[in-house]
Amino acid sequence: MLRFSTCAVAVLSLTLTCVYAQERTSGSVPKPRSPRNANYTIDAKLDARGRTLAGRETIAWTNIANAGTRELRFHLYYNAWRNNQSTYVKEERLGGGWSGAFELENDELAAIDVTSIKATGGAIAPVDLTKDMRFIAPDDGNGDDRTVMAVALPSAIQPGQSITLDISWTLKIPHAVDRTGAVGNYFFLGQWFPKIGVLEDGGKWNCHQFHATTEFFADYGVYDVRATVPRGWPLAATGDERERNDNADQTTTYRYYQEDVHDFAWTTSPDYLERRERFDNPGLPPVDMRLMLQPEHARQAERYFSAARAALRYYGEWFGPYPYGHLTIIDPAWQSRAGGMEYPTLFTGGTFWLSPATDFDSRDTVVHETGHQWWYGMVGSNEFEDAWLDEGINTYANARADAEAGFSSYSLVRYYFGGFVPWVFKDVHWDRVTSGDYVSGYRGSPTVDIPSTPSYEYWPANPTPITYSKTALWLHTLERALGWPTMQQVLSAYFEKWEFRHPKPADFFAVANERSGRDLTPFFDQVYRGSSTFDYGVQSVQSTPAGKDAFHNEVVVRRYGDGIFPVTVLITFSDGAQTRVAWDGGARWKLISADHATKAVSAQVDPDQILVLDTNFTNNSYTTEPQGPRAATKWAAKWMVWLEDQLLTWAFFV
Amino acid sequence: MNALGALRDGIRRVNRAPVILAGVFLVTLLAALPFSVVLREALRASFGHSLAADEAARGVNYEWWTEFSAQASGMATTFAVSVIGFAAVLDNLSTLLDRGPRPAALIWLGLAYLVLWLFLAGGIIDRYARDRPIRSHGFFAACGAYFFRLLRLAPIMGLAYYVLFRYVHGWLFRDLYARVTRELPVERTAFLWRLGFYAVFGLLLAAANAVFDYAKVRAVVEDRRSMLGALLAGLRFVRRHAGTVATLYVLNGLLFVGVLALYAFVAPGAGQAGPVMWLGFAVSQVYLLARLWVRLIFFASEVSLFQNRLAYTGYIASPLVPMPEPAVVEQLAGSKP
Repeated sequence: MLRFSTCAVAVLSLTLTCVYAQERTSGSVPKPRSPRNANYTIDAKLDARGRTLAGRETIAWTNIANAGTRELRFHLYYNAWRNNQSTYVKEERLGGGWSGAFELENDELAAIDVTSIKATGGAIAPVDLTKDMRFIAPDDGNGDDRTVMAVALPSAIQPGQSITLDISWTLKIPHAVDRTGAVGNYFFLGQWFPKIGVLEDGGKWNCHQFHATTEFFADYGVYDVRATVPRGWPLAATGDERERNDNADQTTTYRYYQEDVHDFAWTTSPDYLERRERFDNPGLPPVDMRLMLQPEHARQAERYFSAARAALRYYGEWFGPYPYGHLTIIDPAWQSRAGGMEYPTLFTGGTFWLSPATDFDSRDTVVHETGHQWWYGMVGSNEFEDAWLDEGINTYANARADAEAGFSSYSLVRYYFGGFVPWVFKDVHWDRVTSGDYVSGYRGSPTVDIPSTPSYEYWPANPTPITYSKTALWLHTLERALGWPTMQQVLSAYFEKWEFRHPKPADFFAVANERSGRDLTPFFDQVYRGSSTFDYGVQSVQSTPAGKDAFHNEVVVRRYGDGIFPVTVLITFSDGAQTRVAWDGGARWKLISADHATKAVSAQVDPDQILVLDTNFTNNSYTTEPQGPRAATKWAAKWMVWLEDQLLTWAFFV
Repeated sequence: MNALGALRDGIRRVNRAPVILAGVFLVTLLAALPFSVVLREALRASFGHSLAADEAARGVNYEWWTEFSAQASGMATTFAVSVIGFAAVLDNLSTLLDRGPRPAALIWLGLAYLVLWLFLAGGIIDRYARDRPIRSHGFFAACGAYFFRLLRLAPIMGLAYYVLFRYVHGWLFRDLYARVTRELPVERTAFLWRLGFYAVFGLLLAAANAVFDYAKVRAVVEDRRSMLGALLAGLRFVRRHAGTVATLYVLNGLLFVGVLALYAFVAPGAGQAGPVMWLGFAVSQVYLLARLWVRLIFFASEVSLFQNRLAYTGYIASPLVPMPEPAVVEQLAGSKP
């Protein structure tokens, strides 16, 4: 049974709006962190057996743009899996999908159907808008895509005006598909309710269709959600639990409440184990951590908590404190396709049953998703258009936090036999550039897209090298060039200026220029507005006698890539002496002469690896006593053993 | 003779013919060597004069490795971390059982290697069946005599394995496994299911393998010309002695697992270049030798079981091919009055 009071919600939302307006002037009440212009009161009932959900919501929305609108737009994300012709499916197919020819199975088909929408208060007189609903596809005109719904209004909502809407809808929950859905009795509900888009200045709606490789964008608000699930099923959600009532029909209704967030996700399953710990760190507000764990991962609870603790500490110290006081960590069920995914005050991690204690991947995921509470949660950039602003910055910060947390002691793990049997490579440790920034991903496709392209228009097969890796690498390059204190100031200033707002790339660049005290535009032009690749190398080192006890040494360095970055060249002589020469890196090559008492034995361009964007670091050095043949022999011998073993494995068939 | 007796006898027969073991070891080594030389050259070119090689020589330079992998093509794409130590074994077995992809160049090499084994198989079975030295000319004469017969058996074997991997594997792991685990949120249970499917698939594979092994044994020992006949005879033998055949197969399998388990403990890691590396290489070669030893024991113990059930130790239908006398001897013999 749905319990709902339109009037109460309308009063609540108008009160919130008034409070926000009042607090901005009087300062007597704690100021809301965000504009709170999109507030939701939701009542949802899950039919676990039928895998459906009936929902009703009241949205109290205020126009905070500088122009009015006569239309409202809503995301209906669940319709991405409504059919095999949606934009999401088409893009998955274009990108190769999960298994080549991407096609949703019957049980993966989902649907969100709005059964009624009414204006119930605010600037517009109460009116039933159901007949005014229509589906639009603003990004690609795909008539089969129903992920965006537009509703015409009888009159415009002017800047500063509000409207209260009462929406009823039903949800057909799919077998787990792209981070949401059900597996067995595990349910994860993400992007599950009709969600209003973002009205931008000029009265233009920013309400994109659901794309295969991008995420979400929404205004901040207050979420007050009641979810009814079978009795005995624990529920975890964005926010904190305010009420719990057992109903006569063997169900339980949970009420969760959260202010100043832009999304709401929840999960329920009778199998969850619950663990709680508290994050306490001098100078930072405490955080109650709640972990919802799969029983088979019970022994890995501390791994989750320690990684979350590390992120809360380092992100808190570097950028700004985590203000919500609670954080829910979901250990998703096997094959839930949840992966690591961020939601406000809640995220999904991911591990394996046999995951070894020294595995860094599961920890890294927790640090990354906790980090999203800052870069996505609090700094609400547009994930459709500028995914790098949250994923890239967070990957960079996440790698730095990993390094600070001592991840270098963890080893690489690979899984065999259907992905179940782990093997630890004790010789391969976590490293910030290779494991944190994912340099290999970037090097494999450094020019696949120009970062300034709207993210939803990236080549769908391969968006991560640019969004995640390239951004992390150029931020890391800036850190090494400017120093961490400057970089920390840039990011903390950006965070402080844009928390609970919607920054755009130009806003980040402006803060970076201002805080670094330099005009970094040429660098941003190369790494963001273009797809330049950086590759410096040493071509040769030669020494010729130049009189008694003197040698004339010549080093030729080259710029093989089209990107330009100032670098240092280090020359080492056979007596151990070294000399450093600065090069602006502009020309295609440079001859460096160095007279010294002994011969030059090696030269390195960018010896401190400032430019971690360099696509080929191997050619950055040249030695006159190369170890290449020895190393090549060693590794070829290892490979030979592998090859012999491969042949013997096949010999079974004869 | 029971299965254990056949195994013991098989081990004895293999140990009494160390040249065969050395020979197949050499064949495997030589099959891999040219490609390893090519890879070494690619690695050397990648290192060039770079200081990156120093770290790679000392241990693992993972950054260089990822750089190399990003540019690798063909056979070089298999140069991944899985080549380190025991992971190589897991990687190869896992790829086989999960029907993982391998580059075309490697598949062609594998096919050539299997044809080579097919050529040697006749000689190997003949030698173990006779259970006495036959010298190299006798061995290669047998190889030559049976090669084309076994080559005729190969399409049937290939077809059977193709059906197993293409259809049965697909049905078990893509359809059935996916179906039973579709609504399963527990990884541990899914793993148990997968183990079960591995067992079923392994059983089918072993059954086919045993039938083909005994077909080869009967083709050689009974000097059969018809490979269809040999196959049916092999099938009959397996059916009539199913218990012993299965037990022997399991015992051989346990020997194989024992060798792998031992190697898991002693397999060298990345190590350093130089003497330590060569020591590690030697350890790995000993492991490969042990695997070949087990493979040969499979043959020898099956020969032993067959001979003891249907004939007697040392029985073989065809006479040893006599080595022709040198021309000068024939000439001398011809000049006699």
